Amino acid sequence: MKPFEEQFTAWVDGKLTDAELAEFEKQLAEHPDAAADRDDALKLGRLLRAHPPVLEMPNPDFFNHQLLQRIEAETPKPRVVEKKQWSFWSIPGLAWAGASCLIVAGALFATMIPGGPKHLETSTYFAQVVENWSTDPNVTASTVYDPKDQMTVVWLDGLDYIPATYALNK
Amino acid sequence: MRIWPAILLLLGLAGLAFGVDKDGAMTLSIPKDVSRTATAMPKNDRIWSAVILATNPDAPKEPPVELREFAPRLKRMFGYTQFELAGSATEEIDELTENWLLPSPIFPLSVTARRATSKEARGGYLLNLKIFQQNRQVCTSEVKLAPNSPLFIRGPLYGKGQIIIVLQVQH
Repeated sequence: MKPFEEQFTAWVDGKLTDAELAEFEKQLAEHPDAAADRDDALKLGRLLRAHPPVLEMPNPDFFNHQLLQRIEAETPKPRVVEKKQWSFWSIPGLAWAGASCLIVAGALFATMIPGGPKHLETSTYFAQVVENWSTDPNVTASTVYDPKDQMTVVWLDGLDYIPATYALNK
Repeated sequence: MRIWPAILLLLGLAGLAFGVDKDGAMTLSIPKDVSRTATAMPKNDRIWSAVILATNPDAPKEPPVELREFAPRLKRMFGYTQFELAGSATEEIDELTENWLLPSPIFPLSVTARRATSKEARGGYLLNLKIFQQNRQVCTSEVKLAPNSPLFIRGPLYGKGQIIIVLQVQH
């Protein structure tokens, strides 16, 4: 014999044979709430048939992820104040180091180099005689340098004397 | 940032400190002479020549304006007290062409110049110089001559004095 629950389900669904129905109705006397339960079950069945089932989302994880992101974006975050740490290897730090090096180099140049910057300014180039030769057998040509006065002289000896009566700009 | 103006100021001051030297090794900009050698030869480069009469009078006169910068050095080198300009000539330098200078008809000078490429020449020239006494060539010289670096030639004795010839490149 089927248990009462199975027979009750078949009874609600109207699937009991006549013999089974007669047998089951004998048991109903012991279950006074059975008729009300059957009415509730039938009402629920009608209700479910009247409304379509809930649609399944094709990508539930993606939907949840998007939803969480939107919630996070719209939720104001508590402002965290970060304390900036000074680093030597930052651009301002390197710029300071470079500027300091230039100043130190300038100070060393002005103080350590013999004569200082003026020494270079005043050490002007003076003429150089690469080669010098006489084309007259009576004349000798030599070069005299005077570094102190920055003078270069082509020294010619043996030239003809010129009397004072001879006008130079004739 | 607030420190950037200070950094720029420091760099500017450092640049001024090093930039004042025109021809020194510490100059950060392109040296003037190097930039000049990279460009075409300017047409206004000239060579100035002069014949100086050096004497020892009892009351020496002041040297002429053209000789004022040389007079103290000439005095120390040659021992004369008075320097007079007997004649001068200025010619534009025409490279690789023979230029004739006639500071005095007695001392014609033939100059063939080409631009010196070395940095130490400071925008100067390598000159092939032929020195004449009247129509007689007495000497040939190869000379590196830069602006503000004159070349002096000790010439013949003249009366109680001495003839000195000077050559100088002018930009």
